[in-house]
Amino acid sequence: MILPNLTLADFLPLIPAIILVVGACILLLSEVFLGAHASRSYQAVLTVVAAVAAGAMAVANMFEPAHEVFLGFGVLDPFSSFLTFVVCVGLGLAALSSVSFLRKRGAERGEFYALMLFAAAGMSLLALSNELITLFVNLEVLSIATYALTSYLRRGTRPSEAGFKYFILGAFSSAVLLYGAALLYGATGSTKLTDMVGPLSSALATQPALVYAGLILLGSGFAFKVAAVPFHMWTPDVYEGAPTPVTALMSAGVKAAAFAALVRVFLTLGKGIDPHLPLVLFSTLAFLTMVVGNLLAIPQRNVKRMLAYSSIAHAGYLLVGVAALFVTAPGEQFRLLGPSELTGGSPVELARSQALRGILFYLLAYTFSAVGAFTLVSVLERREDEEKGTAWDLERFSGLAQRRPGWAVAMAAFMLSLGGIPPTIGFMSKLLIFQSAVDSGLIGLAIIGVLSSAAGVYYYLRVVVYMFMRPVPEGALTLERSWSTELALVLSTAAVLVFGILPGPITAWLQQASSIFGQ
Amino acid sequence: MAAQVVAREAPNRPMVPISYYLLLAAALFCMGMFGVMVRRNALVIFMCVELMLNAANLTFLAFARMHGDSVGHVSAFFVIAVAAAEAAIGLAIVIAVFRSRGSVLVEDIRTMKH
Repeated sequence: MILPNLTLADFLPLIPAIILVVGACILLLSEVFLGAHASRSYQAVLTVVAAVAAGAMAVANMFEPAHEVFLGFGVLDPFSSFLTFVVCVGLGLAALSSVSFLRKRGAERGEFYALMLFAAAGMSLLALSNELITLFVNLEVLSIATYALTSYLRRGTRPSEAGFKYFILGAFSSAVLLYGAALLYGATGSTKLTDMVGPLSSALATQPALVYAGLILLGSGFAFKVAAVPFHMWTPDVYEGAPTPVTALMSAGVKAAAFAALVRVFLTLGKGIDPHLPLVLFSTLAFLTMVVGNLLAIPQRNVKRMLAYSSIAHAGYLLVGVAALFVTAPGEQFRLLGPSELTGGSPVELARSQALRGILFYLLAYTFSAVGAFTLVSVLERREDEEKGTAWDLERFSGLAQRRPGWAVAMAAFMLSLGGIPPTIGFMSKLLIFQSAVDSGLIGLAIIGVLSSAAGVYYYLRVVVYMFMRPVPEGALTLERSWSTELALVLSTAAVLVFGILPGPITAWLQQASSIFGQ
Repeated sequence: MAAQVVAREAPNRPMVPISYYLLLAAALFCMGMFGVMVRRNALVIFMCVELMLNAANLTFLAFARMHGDSVGHVSAFFVIAVAAAEAAIGLAIVIAVFRSRGSVLVEDIRTMKH
């Protein structure tokens, strides 16, 4: 038996995932020894500690030069480390907002946090997968954990329905992705992305149908995971039916990880094919996703459902950045610039590396704003109203500014950030994405993006209007405070505002993080 | 060992061409995809998803035979393991749906408005 020659350095990129998995195992094992009425407040604390530790390790990994690990099955590059950091931020904030949510429902259990940690470990590993089967397995690790989390409150009708829809469409999309991977394996004789590039260009000449079918199936599988139109049907129902902290984790983490895998696969394979194909594919998806996502969000009075449609629209803006990655000047060799050569290069090359920075910054910005917004939705809802479907109505936000001014200001900051209005982080991230689209010549797409996000401002500001300009309704619920929710709100509001005004530290950091292996 | 393999694949015994396996896999995949879209019973939909995964497995195996390497075989094992995990969680969710509604038909699983 031949054992691969692994060194300790190979395990470096796995450390964040290992921390998360160890935390999950501790939670699962300790749950066995607890009585029904034992205090479980340590569980959220342990989750947050694991998230902070894993995030810190990811930040430390970001200063390593990009290289392959595990014989090319994975990579250690700043791109994957940054995404692991984003996932850990989302996980920490979502875990903080789960504490009072679960306590109100009497559903505090170690499994919940353990599943969250397993999902985050899968996301972290997905970001560094450099081989199609590794990628598929990690995608399933995160998906299976989120299916279970979605139907965690299984007594109600909604969570089981949401879980069912998520499971069927998620498994369907995984199967589509896997079939695409199988076809590409047939065309190239390898499943490692780096080894596929060379054979791919010769296979394109001999068996174009096989290569195109494989790429399109792979692309559709990813489009399902990032909820791009026309593969978005599951998103509103799943986001509405899932427990709100889980929705927060899904909107932040699952999206970030799926975008990481999509960018890595298509950037690497894009060198073996004509980059025009991914450009057309992602431009079309971006156009449909931005327009349809925003149009469907406008009539929603249910804030949780509105945020679900808005997450579709945000996937559209991110896809504009992804499309900008594939713009090439005529006759130019397709590649990205490393962090050291950012001052040179043609305008198109500069626009491409800016688009990659824009995507990463956008994912971080969206994590802070969306998780914060879902946290606020979760504190205003009540278990008894869920079956009636009024738990997330706009009326819940009426007069919030008079009852809890702090919460209203936080929600206003999240809404402005999601709408892309200065001085918030959402504005800076949209600016980066659209600027790179304009620089790379995708002006039509940038104009549609700006117009549709202007339409989006309507439904975001409606929430702000309800909070600040409507009187407190009769018989409004009492609003309970808890330290963990307040902490999550304070942290995300601070991040949204501080990095919105001073984006300097993050953009400087992203100069470093935007180097992706093999480019 | 090697000699046995060669003997079994002697040229006078016709082998099933790889393309037949690929066509069968493609047909299974399309049947599964069609089934997910038109069938009404949650369990049948679930079986159709499994059919799609197995179509991908068959494709991996056929191509592994064509390329003469083991990557496809290893992939198939991983996919089988993942499909088993998915089956566990999927059946649990179907049971939760059945307990809350008493039915596993898709038209009954529609409380959220579109």
